[in-house]
Amino acid sequence: MRIAADRDRCEGHGLCVDTAPEVYDLDDDAVVVLRHEVVPAALERRAEAGARVCPVAALRVEQMSVES
Amino acid sequence: MSLPTSDIDLFADDVLLDPYPYYAELRELGGVVHLPKSEVYALTRYDVIRTALGDPEAFSSRTIGFNPMVNEALQGTSLASDPPVHAQLRATLTANLSPRALRGLKTQIDAKAAALIDDLVRQGSFEAIDALARAFPLEVVADLIGFTGHVRDNMLRWGQAAMQVIGPMNQRTAENFPIAGELYGWCSGVTAEDLAPGSVGRGIFDAEARGDIPAGTAGHIIHQYLGAGVDTTIAAIGNIVALFAAHPDQFDLVRKDPSLVPAAFSEVLRFWVPIHAWGRLVTRDVEIDGATVPAGSQVAILLGAGNRDPRHYEDPDSFLVERNPVDHLSFGYGPHGCAGQGLARLEAHAVIEALVSRVHRLVVGEEVRVPSNITRSIERLPVLEVVPA
Repeated sequence: MRIAADRDRCEGHGLCVDTAPEVYDLDDDAVVVLRHEVVPAALERRAEAGARVCPVAALRVEQMSVES
Repeated sequence: MSLPTSDIDLFADDVLLDPYPYYAELRELGGVVHLPKSEVYALTRYDVIRTALGDPEAFSSRTIGFNPMVNEALQGTSLASDPPVHAQLRATLTANLSPRALRGLKTQIDAKAAALIDDLVRQGSFEAIDALARAFPLEVVADLIGFTGHVRDNMLRWGQAAMQVIGPMNQRTAENFPIAGELYGWCSGVTAEDLAPGSVGRGIFDAEARGDIPAGTAGHIIHQYLGAGVDTTIAAIGNIVALFAAHPDQFDLVRKDPSLVPAAFSEVLRFWVPIHAWGRLVTRDVEIDGATVPAGSQVAILLGAGNRDPRHYEDPDSFLVERNPVDHLSFGYGPHGCAGQGLARLEAHAVIEALVSRVHRLVVGEEVRVPSNITRSIERLPVLEVVPA
C-alpha cells in the first residue's frame, strides 16, 4: 500500500499525524511528509485511518498491484 | 427505487430550534429525501454526505445558499466556486488561516482565554453567551484582522446576518439582507489604513500591494473571515459550556485528563452541529442509495444528521468525550472543508483547557434558543454558579 499525499492541498491541520504518527509527519512548513514510501504491512490500518481523517481530502490510499 | 419524500420544512421554526428528531426521521426514510416544502433534496446519512462533499464535480458549490440572491452575491468567492478555479481562491483565503500561519498565535489565544475565564470564575455567575461565547471569538477575530472602532461593534450583527441570508427567502433572510449588505459595503471600501499595523488583515493588504493576490481581493477575503468565522465559532463555544454543564461526568473526564481536550471538542461539534444545512447543486443525474436525484436539483446537506447516523457512530445520541470522532462532518469535508477550522480549534481548545483547569462544576439555568436559518446556537445561557476547581 502507498499513500498519495497532495502537498498543494495539504493545509497542515495535522490530524493525520495525531491519528498515525508512525506513518505521517509535518515538515517545518507544516506540510505532510510520509515516513514510508511503501507502507509496511503492519501499519496499513493506521495509514488508512490517518488518510481518512484528513479534513481537506489531501491523502489517498493506493493499493499496489501484485506483480505476477 | 423511487425517492423518499417528506413534508418536513427544514427552515420551520420548530425544526430550527431542535432539528434532531427531524434528522432521525429523514435519515430513516433514506440517504436522500425529497423535501418539496423546502424545495431541496436533503442528504441525511453519514456516508452519503461525505461522498457528496468529496465529489465537487457532481455536487457543485455554485448554490451553497438557499435563495438566488445570496448565491448571486457569493459568485467569485472560494465558498461558491468549483475546481479548478477554487484551488487558487482557497489558497489566498487560507494563506493566513492555515495552522502553519496560525502557529505563532497559540500562546496569545491561550492567554486571552485564561484571562477571560479567570475573570468569570471570580464573578461566580455570568451569562455564558455574551460574556464568553461571543466575547472571546469577537476579541480573537477582531485582533487577528486588526479591526478597531465601530467595525468591532458591528462584528456580531454582521456575522449573524451573513449566515441568516444563506437560508431560503423567508422573513429572517429578508430582514437580514440589509445588515449583510452593510458588511459587504464596509468590506468593499476597507483599506489597509483601517486595520491595525501588524495584524493579519493588514498583511492581506500588503500581499495585494505586492501582487501576491489579485488586485481588489483583500476586502473579499476579510468579508469571508467575518461572514464565516464569527457566528459558527460563537455557536460552538456556547455549546461547550452547555454540554459540559449538562454532562458533569463527561466534564470530569476532561478535568482528570486534559489530553482529552481535542477529542472533547470534536464530540461537541459532532453532537451539536453549528451549521444546520448547507447547499450544493447537482450537476448530473446522481444515484444515491438506489434513487436518482436529477441534474439541476438543489441539495441541502444536513451535516448534523450525518453526525448522528447510527450506521457510522455507535450510540450516536450520547455525548461522550472519549469517543474522539475526528471524522465528524461539522467542518464539512474535502476541497471546501472549513478553511478556518485551525483557528476554531485554537480558540475552542483554549476555552476548554481554561475551563477544565479552573472550574469544578458549572450550574446553569435554562438555555434560550431563537430560530435561525443556518447557524444553530444558544441565545442565552445563565451560569448561576461556578464551583471553582
